Amino acid sequence: MTAPNSAERKACWGARDDLWRCLDDHHDQTGPCESFQKLFESSCPAQWVQYFSKRRDFLKYKDKMKAEGFTPAEGPKQTS
Amino acid sequence: MLGLASVMATPLMRCAVRAAAPRAHLHLKLLRHARPAHLAASCFLSTGPGDGTQHTARIRLRTRLLVTLGLGAGLAAAGGYVYWEKRQTLRRQRVEQLKRVAVGQGDFSLTDHTGRRRRKEDFLGGWVLLYFGFTHCPDICPEELEKLSAAVASLDRDPALPRVQPLFITVDPERDDVAAVGRYVKDFHPRLIGLTGTDEEVRRAGRDYRVYASAGPKDEDGDYIVDHTILIYLVNPDGLFLDYYNRMKSEEQICQSVRNHMKEHVTL
Repeated sequence: MTAPNSAERKACWGARDDLWRCLDDHHDQTGPCESFQKLFESSCPAQWVQYFSKRRDFLKYKDKMKAEGFTPAEGPKQTS
Repeated sequence: MLGLASVMATPLMRCAVRAAAPRAHLHLKLLRHARPAHLAASCFLSTGPGDGTQHTARIRLRTRLLVTLGLGAGLAAAGGYVYWEKRQTLRRQRVEQLKRVAVGQGDFSLTDHTGRRRRKEDFLGGWVLLYFGFTHCPDICPEELEKLSAAVASLDRDPALPRVQPLFITVDPERDDVAAVGRYVKDFHPRLIGLTGTDEEVRRAGRDYRVYASAGPKDEDGDYIVDHTILIYLVNPDGLFLDYYNRMKSEEQICQSVRNHMKEHVTL
């Protein structure tokens, strides 16, 4: 399997950006973005689809951390 | 009485001499200090304002200024030299330290995208910007290679600077053969050289730059993502690793840093 070339990469990134914009606009509801999801999956190798989905989660988590700061989880209650 | 007359006569004579030959006053200056104050005053009155005394003061001021300026310039030059010398020493120490640093000391031997054998020593004498990646890389490698290419192109535009050789070394020799690397480098800087090799050759080159690379699980297409170190390395003409640039560094920051390193470079 050959790696995507420059044009294929750009097509994939474009489809990814369109899908992400749609998901942002619809508060992560997948229903209204189905056509974008299909276009994204057909424009990118399956491995990249998986990678970008994880990456979106990571970037959202990162933004959340930046905006709200990190609150450490409460540890187990110590019995005295 | 006679003694007083002679004392009275000498300053007047002196004033006459001074009026006639104003240039001689530098010698008289010393004598004047020995003269009583009232005599100096009478002499001053006898020759009127704007005479040699003011002229002398002006000259003395100028001399003093010149001497001060001369001394100042001398001190500044000496200080500047000491500073420069200190910086040179620091630079030399840095180079010595870099030689002891274990990063980038090995001599990689790989095959370029045209099938030619290339060793690290082939690139000695020139500046190198080096990036490790793989051609199936979804986004980070193409972005970093584009940034690297833009930085090299920007440095290319300054004819006063030596050429920088961009290099790409794969961390995925399983899929990135000569042909695949050849297709890949065409998308970036025209002088970009892509390097690949056997598993062992690639691993050795990566290990030399402390590059971490780990292939992820394969999917049903046999496709996989390689997790790896994302750094651009700067190697100087002596083959020494000098600096590295992470994702946060912009093209402009890289250019500026490379320029600074070039400016400070001393051929060993």
